[in-house]
Amino acid sequence: MAQRLVQYLLVLLVAVAVNFFLPRAMPGSPLQFLAGDEVATLTLEQRAAILERAGLDQPLPVQFVRYLGQVARGDLGYSYQENRPVLGILLERLPWTLLLTGTALLLSSLFGVMVGALAAWRRGGVLDNTSLAGSIALDAVPTFWLGMMLVAIFAVQWQIFPVFGARTAWASYQGWQAVGDVLRHLVLPATTLTIASLSGTYLVMRYAMLGVLGEDYIRTARAKGVSERQVLYKHALRNAMLPVFTVFMLNLGALVGGAAVIETVFSYPGVGRLLFESATNRDYPLLQGAFLLVTLSVLVFNLLADLLYPLVDPRVRGAHG
Amino acid sequence: MASAAVATKAPKPQGWRALGQALLGNPVGLIGTGLLGLMLFLALFGPLIAPYDPALSSGKPFERPSSAHLLGTNDVGQDILSELIVGTRVSLLIGFSAAAGAIVIGTLVGLVAGYAGGWLDAALMRLVDVVLVLPFIPLMIVVAAYLGPSSGNLIAAITLVIWARPARVVRSGVLSLREITYVESTRALGASDFHILFRHILPGVLPIAVSQFILAASSSILIEASLSFLGLGDPIRKSWGSILYYAQIRGAFLNGSWPWWVVPPGLMITLSVLGFALTGRALEGYLFPRLGKG
Repeated sequence: MAQRLVQYLLVLLVAVAVNFFLPRAMPGSPLQFLAGDEVATLTLEQRAAILERAGLDQPLPVQFVRYLGQVARGDLGYSYQENRPVLGILLERLPWTLLLTGTALLLSSLFGVMVGALAAWRRGGVLDNTSLAGSIALDAVPTFWLGMMLVAIFAVQWQIFPVFGARTAWASYQGWQAVGDVLRHLVLPATTLTIASLSGTYLVMRYAMLGVLGEDYIRTARAKGVSERQVLYKHALRNAMLPVFTVFMLNLGALVGGAAVIETVFSYPGVGRLLFESATNRDYPLLQGAFLLVTLSVLVFNLLADLLYPLVDPRVRGAHG
Repeated sequence: MASAAVATKAPKPQGWRALGQALLGNPVGLIGTGLLGLMLFLALFGPLIAPYDPALSSGKPFERPSSAHLLGTNDVGQDILSELIVGTRVSLLIGFSAAAGAIVIGTLVGLVAGYAGGWLDAALMRLVDVVLVLPFIPLMIVVAAYLGPSSGNLIAAITLVIWARPARVVRSGVLSLREITYVESTRALGASDFHILFRHILPGVLPIAVSQFILAASSSILIEASLSFLGLGDPIRKSWGSILYYAQIRGAFLNGSWPWWVVPPGLMITLSVLGFALTGRALEGYLFPRLGKG
């Protein structure tokens, strides 16, 4: 566990170091890379404040320690394009990313477990063969293109769902209407992300289920005359679910990172989309903040997975890690 | 490959015939090699086959498909079919180069870590863990925002992200080879570490490296597509991902040109990744004969 913690801290340090060194390693005036493209519109006092904050006249290690301190205090700098502190913008965007990835994760786990279990239960059957082939094919499809195809069919051609965004602009819905509006906007991006993460859960579940079905206690249960339904739901499914949990938590981390592309396809206002926007606008302080937040979320989810796993499966307390 | 099998005392090498059998003697291998062959052909001869130069406008903007432009034209009147054909080379080249770089780095790191053991092994594996956890698409967006979009940056970025998995797999292969009798006896005979590593252990892990290369190539093609779709690709030489980037920002959905502007590039990406995946599966039995059929 301690080893894991050290590993995550190292990752965080790498992310912070990327943020710190990249603007300083670029040729030309560091001012532009510290403040972003808005630098031309800044007043002399503002420029002085930026240079003062970065402490460019000091030796690099001193600057770095100072930078670490700022980040640790949650001081992520100022977006000159949006004209407000970076942290506030990030906190506005985070709930949308969590909503999107959370929904996709729940749905893909649900379907992955169901299809994986049934496929293993009838190994070599029609469902097993088609779902296995399907998972290979799905793994070859670029996720963002899948999203574009869903937009083309369900938003452009049939106009069932909105093309972009997380809410209808300029509409002042109240109560359930507002919830319905958010859900309607959520359907296509969440479906894309669900399909994209489906095959991982499915494969793990199918494999785990095949292992469990070969165990003695399943044979015993059958020999005792327990009905097939009971064997499937009471005995096999429960035990095969354990490895899926790890995949579930690890997917959560991967999804937050992978959502960057999906959010861009659907102009969904999450942190991933913010990453893309700020890169396009060369709003470097915002870009760095978004990158740090994504990394931090990935690490938090990984850590949660490590902490929760022994609680879910007491048998692996010794073997895990 | 023959020397690899001799060195590991693996079952007698099955030679070219077995390789042909694995690749062409079954539906999975046949489809996989067929797809890869087609893509390779387009990558090599694309500019000769393409009806137009995709860099020049050869028609009016947003033309619908016609006999002159089978897949219509894009927002500046460039022939989409030609973009697609010529883009094959860009997509495959970036994918291949990144995968090759990743396999060289990964194999070296895996060899050194597995063979040396001790603190060096521990340090290298910590590094691998760190790379595996970093959210790489966000990281590349950040790096590209500073360095600017170019094919070279793309290849370097993808390489630096995907070498970690092969490193770990090669290392575990080395660990199992290290204790095998012939390595022990070679060492007893006074062979140098360098000699043992490159003459005896490297050939033993080559099958692992080959199968990891195929995996790495398909994931780098997918990563390249995602990054180019985000506008991080070379704007002059468009890959399939870049075509989709322009389709998205220049309104392919608004003017109804998506069936011939958005669908084909995605299919090309999917088919080439599928080609690698199926070829990899078909090769498994040949590369790892002792594992039997999975």
